[in-house]
Amino acid sequence: MATDAMKSQVAAKWQEAFQRLNGDSPGISGLMKFSEAWAISVQFLYPWDISSVPVDVDGRPYGEILYIGKDLEAARPAFNVVNRSKKLPALLETFLDDVRKNFYLVENEITQYMARYEEHQSTDEIRGLISRLVEWYRAWAPPPDLGAAVFQSYTLNFQTRLFSALPPSFTGGFKNLCATLLSPPSAEDAIVAVWRDFDILGLIERYETIIASVGYEYIEEYVLRTCTGEWGKPMLDDLRIWMSEKVVPWLLHVYARGATTPDEARTMLQGVGSRFDFHINKTLCDLRTREIFDVIIDYPDSMGALQDLRDCMQRVDQRADLVAALRKQNQKRLLNPGADTKLILQQYVSTIKCLRIVDPPGVLLFKVADPIRRYLRDRPDTIRSIVANLVGDDDDENGESLVDDVDAVPIQQHDFDDYSDPNWEPEPIDAGPEFRANKPSDVISTLVSIYDSKDLFVKELQVLLAQRLLMITKDGSDRVEKERKNIEILKIRFGESALQVCEVMLRDMTDSKRINTHVQAQKSSRLQPTIISRHFWPALESSDLVMPGQFHKLQEDYAHEFNVFKPDKKLKWLPHLGTVQLELELEDRKVQADVPPLEAAFIELFSDKPVWTLDELIVAVGSVNRSAAIKALSTWVDLGVLKEDPENTFNLLEKAEEGQSAAAAARERDTAKLVAPIADIPALSGTQLQQAEQMRVYWKFIEGMLTNLGGLPLDRIQTMLKFAPGYDKTIEQLASFLEAARREGHLVVRDGVWRLNPGHEA
Amino acid sequence: MKVNVKQWHAVAQWRWDTGNAEPEDDGEGDVCGICRVPYEGCCPSCKMPGDDCPLIWGECTHVFHMHCLLKWIGTVASKQQCPMDRKPWVTAERKIGSTPS
Repeated sequence: MATDAMKSQVAAKWQEAFQRLNGDSPGISGLMKFSEAWAISVQFLYPWDISSVPVDVDGRPYGEILYIGKDLEAARPAFNVVNRSKKLPALLETFLDDVRKNFYLVENEITQYMARYEEHQSTDEIRGLISRLVEWYRAWAPPPDLGAAVFQSYTLNFQTRLFSALPPSFTGGFKNLCATLLSPPSAEDAIVAVWRDFDILGLIERYETIIASVGYEYIEEYVLRTCTGEWGKPMLDDLRIWMSEKVVPWLLHVYARGATTPDEARTMLQGVGSRFDFHINKTLCDLRTREIFDVIIDYPDSMGALQDLRDCMQRVDQRADLVAALRKQNQKRLLNPGADTKLILQQYVSTIKCLRIVDPPGVLLFKVADPIRRYLRDRPDTIRSIVANLVGDDDDENGESLVDDVDAVPIQQHDFDDYSDPNWEPEPIDAGPEFRANKPSDVISTLVSIYDSKDLFVKELQVLLAQRLLMITKDGSDRVEKERKNIEILKIRFGESALQVCEVMLRDMTDSKRINTHVQAQKSSRLQPTIISRHFWPALESSDLVMPGQFHKLQEDYAHEFNVFKPDKKLKWLPHLGTVQLELELEDRKVQADVPPLEAAFIELFSDKPVWTLDELIVAVGSVNRSAAIKALSTWVDLGVLKEDPENTFNLLEKAEEGQSAAAAARERDTAKLVAPIADIPALSGTQLQQAEQMRVYWKFIEGMLTNLGGLPLDRIQTMLKFAPGYDKTIEQLASFLEAARREGHLVVRDGVWRLNPGHEA
Repeated sequence: MKVNVKQWHAVAQWRWDTGNAEPEDDGEGDVCGICRVPYEGCCPSCKMPGDDCPLIWGECTHVFHMHCLLKWIGTVASKQQCPMDRKPWVTAERKIGSTPS
């Protein structure tokens, strides 16, 4: 039961509460007054249905004000009473409770608007909904007299209810509405109003990510539309200008609302502005990364795109993506059997140049180049292509030379870090462990460095030079000069000593001309030889061709004159090389032709005897390759001079056959066909054949060691051969050579041990 | 039919006429006994073969690159002897036309 103490306590509380409500008024008059004031306050604040009453622009009803007790003047004293009695919190609670109860009114309207929106997908509905929501919000808002705290609680409460009431489809609608505001057809005032409404309802904070995504999407769309395939000039600056003109005003509404001065706005925009700028960079970077392969193809017309890429890369860390994209594209579009080696080289060179623009230290290049280089190394004709380019072999073709650096520098074999270099910089952070900072060296060095040694190049260069020099027929001093110029340039790259041999070859050319002039002065001859120094020219395929008849006489005569001029030297003819300019006098026609010596030898034979069999012909010119002989004879058949009938028997046609002569005449006009036979590459063996030749020298060593030591494994043979002078073959080359020897029956191999084949000794 | 040769662009190699009947072309040919480089090559101190690096014939029938031999003769150790047979070196007349051509 209640004790006295408790009773007195309750009494004191009661007294206190009573005192607070009643004040100093006599009796319960204060209490009555408070009660009245409470009723008025609640009535004033009551969230009413604005659809039922016309309202003015501030959301205040007009007309039957008194009827619903919305007279602020009347309500103010009541508020004061409630406030004085410290019952404001209770009043607020009641009010918020009323809001909760009546919020269904708002929800109903939201449902109506959203239903219409879903039907028409028109952002006007969303705009309407938002204006309407603002009206509701304003109509229900408590007057400022009640203090900021009450207002804030109301706002928070209203917004919370509103957000929970908005259906999911509202998000999409809102986004669309924002997008229409970005590229507005409507007037500035209207836009300002919309953003104000958003702000009032707290939609900006709530949907900030959506608003931002609208901006991002807008940027993406614009970048893709304007920059795709536009590689000629840098786009980044244009994009920034566009952004400050189109996007920044929009951003001002969102992020700098309430800013009073431009300076203030600028500080408010700083963070978000750089976020949007980043997005431009990223979008552009992504785009260029996707396009990179074609950008490289278009180089140097795509400089702009590359500069953009470089600038973007500084803001956006997408280097790994670029490498991955380019490698993938290369794999798919470049490094396949269908691509020409020259094309791959061209693209590789372009890649080098492009990526140097994007990333001067060369880390990207290193990562991208690696697969290309590995692929090129496996192609058999890579060296030839590179060398052909070095000497400008294809300058009569359409392709531009790979090499257009004017300032040739010596080829750098990779050098090591110079630790005493005060300007030394650490390798870039994404450089892998195998990264070798190749200092900005020239393209040729990079190409040559595909292979481990430059010797291969020098050898191939010699072969190529030899071919080109021997192709020079008539007075070709300017072409020799051109070759000399080439060699001078290459000397700077490869070093003087490496190209010494080429120097000798060139001198042979000028010497030949000098000797020839002298010999011709003594005794004019139609024979104009190129006299070469053996050992200095690449191994020329040997031939047993013997020139018959007048050709032999010409050779003899010339050799004699030469011997008179140079008593201590003699000439050894390489009869299968060179070209002969012939005129055949037949009974009814004359045929002119530039042909290789074998063709000339054959037709000379026919001047003695009109019918020859193939075998007779071959014997008569020494022994030549049968297929070469057939090819040579078919040249004459094509020209209508010979006829094969029956098979392998050739007849001279003193009189042109019907149809044949027509065909011949047709061909005569087609001069390209006439000179076609000599357009063939002179019979020089390529480096591969040369290597096999060289290997033959070491065969004696191998044979000796296997005789003395019995069986040996491959690596032992390699180790021992290294003692042999000048041995520079790799173990792979040795293996393939031994394999070839095994096929020929010289060797047998069991369990990796090589032995001489005992059965083959005989 | 008559075949008229208007012009013939041919290719030939020059050889030193060493007087030794040369076996038909195979391998590297004869080499200088001092530097072991073929006669048609050039001695180690030369870059151009041929007239710039001629041969020298001895009475003893040995043939060397002239530069190689002069260098050898220039040394005290040579005692003016042919390095092949240690006979006193006597330069021979060139054997012009000694081989039937």
